[in-house]
Amino acid sequence: MATPKAPADHFTLLYFAAATSFTRKQHDFLPAPMPLSQLYDTVEAKYPGIKAKVLESSALTVNLEYVDAEEEGAKGGQGTVIQSGDEVAIIPPVSSG
Amino acid sequence: MAANSTPQKPFEGEQSLSEHNIHVSLTYDSLDATKAMNRVKSGEAGAVVLFAGCTRSTFHSKTVTHLAYSTYPPLALRTLLSIAKDVKAKHELVGISISHRLGRVDIGEESVIIAVSAPHRKAGWLAGEECLEHVKERVEIWKEEWFEDGGVWRSNRDGAVGVPVVES
Repeated sequence: MATPKAPADHFTLLYFAAATSFTRKQHDFLPAPMPLSQLYDTVEAKYPGIKAKVLESSALTVNLEYVDAEEEGAKGGQGTVIQSGDEVAIIPPVSSG
Repeated sequence: MAANSTPQKPFEGEQSLSEHNIHVSLTYDSLDATKAMNRVKSGEAGAVVLFAGCTRSTFHSKTVTHLAYSTYPPLALRTLLSIAKDVKAKHELVGISISHRLGRVDIGEESVIIAVSAPHRKAGWLAGEECLEHVKERVEIWKEEWFEDGGVWRSNRDGAVGVPVVES
Protein backbone atom coordinates (compact mmCIF):
# COMPACT_ATOMS: atom_id res chain seq x y z
CA MET A 1 0.00 0.00 0.00
CA ALA A 2 1.22 3.48 -0.80
CA THR A 3 1.84 6.07 1.90
CA PRO A 4 -1.22 8.23 2.54
CA LYS A 5 -0.96 11.94 1.82
CA ALA A 6 0.10 14.22 4.68
CA PRO A 7 -2.65 16.40 6.19
CA ALA A 8 -2.50 20.19 5.64
CA ASP A 9 0.53 21.92 7.24
CA HIS A 10 2.37 18.63 7.65
CA PHE A 11 5.10 16.72 5.84
CA THR A 12 5.67 12.98 5.57
CA LEU A 13 8.66 11.33 7.23
CA LEU A 14 9.29 7.82 5.86
CA TYR A 15 11.02 5.05 7.82
CA PHE A 16 12.78 2.02 6.36
CA ALA A 17 14.63 -1.00 7.73
CA ALA A 18 16.32 -0.09 11.05
CA ALA A 19 14.20 3.08 11.33
CA THR A 20 11.01 1.01 10.94
CA SER A 21 12.24 -1.45 13.58
CA PHE A 22 12.93 1.36 16.02
CA THR A 23 9.72 3.37 15.51
CA ARG A 24 7.54 0.33 14.67
CA LYS A 25 6.04 2.53 11.98
CA GLN A 26 6.38 3.05 8.24
CA HIS A 27 5.89 6.81 8.47
CA ASP A 28 4.86 9.82 10.56
CA PHE A 29 3.26 13.12 9.64
CA LEU A 30 5.09 16.02 11.29
CA PRO A 31 4.13 19.71 11.39
CA ALA A 32 5.54 21.93 8.60
CA PRO A 33 7.32 24.19 7.97
CA MET A 34 10.27 22.82 9.95
CA PRO A 35 13.93 23.77 9.50
CA LEU A 36 15.84 20.66 8.46
CA SER A 37 18.31 21.43 11.26
CA GLN A 38 15.53 20.67 13.79
CA LEU A 39 14.44 17.37 12.29
CA TYR A 40 16.74 15.00 14.18
CA ASP A 41 15.99 16.61 17.57
CA THR A 42 12.25 16.43 16.84
CA VAL A 43 12.48 12.74 15.95
CA GLU A 44 14.71 12.04 18.98
CA ALA A 45 12.13 13.67 21.27
CA LYS A 46 9.45 11.41 19.80
CA TYR A 47 11.59 8.25 19.86
CA PRO A 48 14.29 8.60 22.54
CA GLY A 49 17.51 6.83 21.55
CA ILE A 50 16.84 6.82 17.80
CA LYS A 51 19.53 9.40 17.10
CA ALA A 52 22.42 7.27 18.32
CA LYS A 53 20.98 3.95 17.16
CA VAL A 54 19.63 4.88 13.74
CA LEU A 55 19.88 8.51 12.61
CA GLU A 56 23.63 8.95 13.01
CA SER A 57 24.35 6.06 10.65
CA SER A 58 21.61 7.00 8.16
CA ALA A 59 21.33 9.36 5.21
CA LEU A 60 18.43 11.71 4.59
CA THR A 61 16.41 12.61 1.48
CA VAL A 62 13.95 15.43 0.85
CA ASN A 63 11.68 14.85 -2.15
CA LEU A 64 14.05 12.10 -3.39
CA GLU A 65 17.18 14.27 -3.20
CA TYR A 66 19.92 13.51 -0.68
CA VAL A 67 20.68 16.28 1.80
CA ASP A 68 23.57 16.47 4.26
CA ALA A 69 22.01 16.48 7.72
CA GLU A 70 25.24 17.53 9.47
CA GLU A 71 25.85 20.39 7.08
CA GLU A 72 22.25 21.54 7.52
CA GLY A 73 22.62 21.41 11.29
CA ALA A 74 25.65 23.71 11.07
CA LYS A 75 23.68 26.23 8.99
CA GLY A 76 21.11 26.68 11.76
CA GLY A 77 18.34 29.07 10.65
CA GLN A 78 19.96 29.64 7.22
CA GLY A 79 19.47 26.09 5.98
CA THR A 80 16.74 24.21 4.12
CA VAL A 81 13.21 24.37 5.50
CA ILE A 82 10.95 21.35 5.10
CA GLN A 83 7.66 22.50 3.58
CA SER A 84 4.17 21.13 3.97
CA GLY A 85 3.58 18.22 1.58
CA ASP A 86 7.30 17.38 1.33
CA GLU A 87 8.39 13.75 1.48
CA VAL A 88 11.38 13.26 3.77
CA ALA A 89 13.00 9.86 4.28
CA ILE A 90 15.56 8.35 6.63
CA ILE A 91 17.83 6.03 4.63
CA PRO A 92 19.70 3.46 6.78
CA PRO A 93 22.77 1.71 5.32
CA VAL A 94 21.58 -0.29 2.32
CA SER A 95 21.90 -4.07 1.84
CA SER A 96 20.61 -5.17 -1.56
CA GLY A 97 21.78 -8.05 -3.75
CA MET B 1 6.15 -13.23 15.81
CA ALA B 2 8.44 -10.47 14.59
CA ALA B 3 6.97 -7.06 13.92
CA ASN B 4 7.95 -7.36 10.27
CA SER B 5 6.32 -10.74 9.61
CA THR B 6 4.10 -8.99 7.07
CA PRO B 7 6.46 -6.50 5.46
CA GLN B 8 5.04 -3.44 3.82
CA LYS B 9 4.25 -3.98 0.15
CA PRO B 10 4.02 -0.54 -1.46
CA PHE B 11 2.91 -1.87 -4.86
CA GLU B 12 1.92 -5.10 -6.63
CA GLY B 13 3.95 -6.82 -9.36
CA GLU B 14 6.62 -4.73 -11.07
CA GLN B 15 7.70 -1.09 -11.34
CA SER B 16 10.25 -0.11 -13.96
CA LEU B 17 12.02 2.73 -15.75
CA SER B 18 13.34 2.48 -19.31
CA GLU B 19 15.27 4.59 -21.78
CA HIS B 20 17.65 4.02 -24.74
CA ASN B 21 18.43 0.29 -24.26
CA ILE B 22 18.37 0.68 -20.48
CA HIS B 23 15.83 -1.14 -18.33
CA VAL B 24 15.66 -1.19 -14.52
CA SER B 25 12.93 -2.76 -12.42
CA LEU B 26 11.78 -3.76 -8.96
CA THR B 27 9.40 -6.68 -8.67
CA TYR B 28 7.60 -8.90 -6.17
CA ASP B 29 7.44 -11.64 -8.84
CA SER B 30 10.10 -14.23 -9.70
CA LEU B 31 12.95 -12.86 -11.81
CA ASP B 32 13.27 -14.14 -15.37
CA ALA B 33 16.86 -14.47 -16.67
CA THR B 34 15.78 -15.16 -20.26
CA LYS B 35 13.65 -12.04 -20.31
CA ALA B 36 16.56 -9.96 -18.96
CA MET B 37 18.89 -11.36 -21.60
CA ASN B 38 16.40 -10.76 -24.40
CA ARG B 39 16.07 -7.13 -23.34
CA VAL B 40 19.75 -6.47 -24.06
CA LYS B 41 20.40 -8.76 -27.05
CA SER B 42 21.24 -7.02 -30.31
CA GLY B 43 22.95 -7.63 -33.64
CA GLU B 44 25.60 -5.14 -32.54
CA ALA B 45 26.46 -7.08 -29.40
CA GLY B 46 28.84 -10.04 -29.64
CA ALA B 47 28.66 -10.62 -25.90
CA VAL B 48 25.91 -10.83 -23.34
CA VAL B 49 26.94 -11.21 -19.69
CA LEU B 50 24.27 -12.32 -17.24
CA PHE B 51 24.66 -12.20 -13.46
CA ALA B 52 22.18 -13.82 -11.08
CA GLY B 53 22.49 -13.16 -7.36
CA CYS B 54 20.81 -15.99 -5.43
CA THR B 55 19.84 -16.34 -1.78
CA ARG B 56 22.21 -18.53 0.25
CA SER B 57 21.10 -21.17 2.77
CA THR B 58 23.59 -20.27 5.51
CA PHE B 59 25.10 -17.21 7.10
CA HIS B 60 28.03 -17.75 9.51
CA SER B 61 26.91 -21.40 9.76
CA LYS B 62 23.36 -20.48 10.84
CA THR B 63 20.60 -21.89 8.65
CA VAL B 64 18.66 -19.27 6.71
CA THR B 65 15.06 -20.14 5.77
CA HIS B 66 14.43 -17.19 3.47
CA LEU B 67 15.24 -13.55 2.86
CA ALA B 68 12.96 -10.54 2.62
CA TYR B 69 13.71 -7.29 0.79
CA SER B 70 12.09 -3.91 1.30
CA THR B 71 12.68 -0.67 -0.59
CA TYR B 72 11.83 2.99 -1.15
CA PRO B 73 10.51 2.41 -4.68
CA PRO B 74 10.85 5.82 -6.41
CA LEU B 75 14.32 6.48 -4.98
CA ALA B 76 15.61 2.94 -5.64
CA LEU B 77 14.42 3.11 -9.28
CA ARG B 78 16.07 6.49 -9.71
CA THR B 79 19.37 5.18 -8.29
CA LEU B 80 19.19 2.01 -10.43
CA LEU B 81 18.68 4.13 -13.55
CA SER B 82 21.59 6.39 -12.67
CA ILE B 83 23.89 3.36 -12.13
CA ALA B 84 22.75 1.76 -15.39
CA LYS B 85 23.37 4.96 -17.36
CA ASP B 86 26.85 5.44 -15.87
CA VAL B 87 27.94 1.84 -16.44
CA LYS B 88 26.53 1.79 -19.97
CA ALA B 89 28.36 4.99 -20.92
CA LYS B 90 31.66 4.04 -19.25
CA HIS B 91 31.89 0.59 -20.89
CA GLU B 92 30.19 1.58 -24.17
CA LEU B 93 27.54 -1.09 -23.74
CA VAL B 94 24.81 -1.80 -26.25
CA GLY B 95 22.23 -2.49 -23.55
CA ILE B 96 21.81 -3.02 -19.82
CA SER B 97 19.06 -4.44 -17.64
CA ILE B 98 18.97 -4.56 -13.82
CA SER B 99 16.10 -6.20 -11.93
CA HIS B 100 15.85 -6.60 -8.16
CA ARG B 101 13.32 -8.75 -6.37
CA LEU B 102 11.34 -7.55 -3.33
CA GLY B 103 9.42 -9.23 -0.54
CA ARG B 104 10.07 -12.84 0.44
CA VAL B 105 12.71 -14.68 -1.58
CA ASP B 106 13.19 -18.37 -0.80
CA ILE B 107 16.61 -20.04 -0.71
CA GLY B 108 18.19 -20.65 -4.10
CA GLU B 109 16.00 -18.13 -5.89
CA GLU B 110 17.36 -15.08 -7.68
CA SER B 111 17.23 -11.78 -5.83
CA VAL B 112 18.99 -9.71 -8.50
CA ILE B 113 19.59 -10.20 -12.21
CA ILE B 114 21.90 -8.02 -14.27
CA ALA B 115 22.25 -8.43 -18.03
CA VAL B 116 24.65 -6.37 -20.12
CA SER B 117 25.47 -6.55 -23.82
CA ALA B 118 28.59 -5.22 -25.48
CA PRO B 119 30.31 -5.50 -28.85
CA HIS B 120 33.06 -7.62 -27.21
CA ARG B 121 33.23 -9.81 -24.10
CA LYS B 122 35.85 -7.90 -22.07
CA ALA B 123 33.68 -4.80 -21.70
CA GLY B 124 30.73 -7.01 -20.81
CA TRP B 125 32.52 -8.83 -18.00
CA LEU B 126 33.88 -5.63 -16.51
CA ALA B 127 30.58 -3.77 -16.78
CA GLY B 128 28.63 -6.60 -15.19
CA GLU B 129 30.87 -6.71 -12.14
CA GLU B 130 31.05 -2.96 -11.72
CA CYS B 131 27.28 -2.68 -12.04
CA LEU B 132 26.66 -5.19 -9.25
CA GLU B 133 29.13 -3.47 -6.92
CA HIS B 134 27.38 -0.13 -7.45
CA VAL B 135 23.97 -1.71 -6.88
CA LYS B 136 25.06 -3.24 -3.58
CA GLU B 137 26.69 -0.02 -2.46
CA ARG B 138 23.98 2.46 -3.42
CA VAL B 139 20.49 1.15 -4.18
CA GLU B 140 17.94 1.85 -1.45
CA ILE B 141 16.96 -1.76 -0.77
CA TRP B 142 17.19 -3.51 2.59
CA LYS B 143 17.60 -7.24 3.22
CA GLU B 144 16.39 -9.25 6.18
CA GLU B 145 17.76 -12.72 6.85
CA TRP B 146 15.28 -15.09 8.48
CA PHE B 147 16.91 -17.91 10.45
CA GLU B 148 15.69 -21.41 11.30
CA ASP B 149 15.90 -20.67 15.03
CA GLY B 150 13.34 -17.87 14.63
CA GLY B 151 15.79 -14.99 14.62
CA VAL B 152 15.52 -12.25 12.06
CA TRP B 153 18.57 -10.17 11.25
CA ARG B 154 19.06 -7.26 9.01
CA SER B 155 22.32 -7.68 7.20
CA ASN B 156 24.76 -4.91 6.64
CA ARG B 157 27.49 -5.22 4.06
CA ASP B 158 28.59 -8.50 2.53
CA GLY B 159 29.90 -10.78 5.23
CA ALA B 160 29.17 -8.40 8.09
CA VAL B 161 26.94 -9.63 10.89
CA GLY B 162 23.60 -7.85 10.96
CA VAL B 163 21.46 -6.51 13.76
CA PRO B 164 18.22 -7.94 15.11
CA VAL B 165 15.12 -6.58 13.38
CA VAL B 166 13.15 -6.30 16.59
CA GLU B 167 14.76 -3.99 19.13
CA SER B 168 14.62 -5.15 22.73
